Amino acid sequence: MARLPGGRPAAAAETEASLLTRARAGDGDAFEQLAGMHADRLFAVLLRLLGDRSEAEDVAQEVMLRAWQGIARFEGRSDFFTWLYRIAVNEANRSLEKRSRRSASVPIDAEASQLRASRRDEPPRQAENNELRMALDRALADLPPPYRTAIVLRDVEGLSTREAAEITGVSEAAFKSRLHHARLRVRAAIGDAALITAGG
Amino acid sequence: MSSLPGRTDDHQWSQQHLSHYVEGDLGRRARRRLGRHAQGCVDCGRGIIAMRALVHMLQGLDGLAGIRAPAGIFDRVRAAGAGGSPGGGWPAPPRSA
Repeated sequence: MARLPGGRPAAAAETEASLLTRARAGDGDAFEQLAGMHADRLFAVLLRLLGDRSEAEDVAQEVMLRAWQGIARFEGRSDFFTWLYRIAVNEANRSLEKRSRRSASVPIDAEASQLRASRRDEPPRQAENNELRMALDRALADLPPPYRTAIVLRDVEGLSTREAAEITGVSEAAFKSRLHHARLRVRAAIGDAALITAGG
Repeated sequence: MSSLPGRTDDHQWSQQHLSHYVEGDLGRRARRRLGRHAQGCVDCGRGIIAMRALVHMLQGLDGLAGIRAPAGIFDRVRAAGAGGSPGGGWPAPPRSA
């Protein structure tokens, strides 16, 4: 049975199948409902990959347009969300390529910073964790896009290796290798001492 | 640093598979090989702990958990339809290939 992000129940899968059939037949409302089920998480992934809200909004709209244009050709060989995420990753990479000459790294979006700032009254231990989180955000932002994508899909989003490999268009073995190297880079950026302290 | 035969190979191999080890992706023999090596290797022992902590932190990233997709996420699709303006309705249904 198709696995849905967020562990939604089987009834949701039936609804999704029904919506997919209607969307493939050209029902725009069904497409909006179907794609809308994944919109929040999709947008969060784009925000994490791109690090800029306005750019993520622009890419999200483009993803939906491309998905709508391609929905009739979607044959259901993969889950709908896998297919949609693949479009999103491709569009995010395209957007990153466009601005690669402008900046070497992804800015940390104010959104995440605001969420952290709201926790300023928390005790010292929490403050240390927040510092570590900021370092983690920065390390992720500094990763080359394929590495960042691997970590976001597998570790942050919790997709399976098979799903993440399918979305990124590489074999599972290649994906595992990519993920390993990505983690090594983040680990090096943060430092073992800080990680071990946080983990202890 | 030990110069025992095979040590360097084991160490390099273990370093290259820390992530797979933490992931539970190694077969039984490979897992035992890495585990045995890590027991006597400070670098790899620390590496396993650090890698586990890192993955745990990454899995707990929730800074964007409250994020909602923008309300106009379908605007471009609708704008591609008749009238060419947001809210102008859905475009003609896509045709099957």
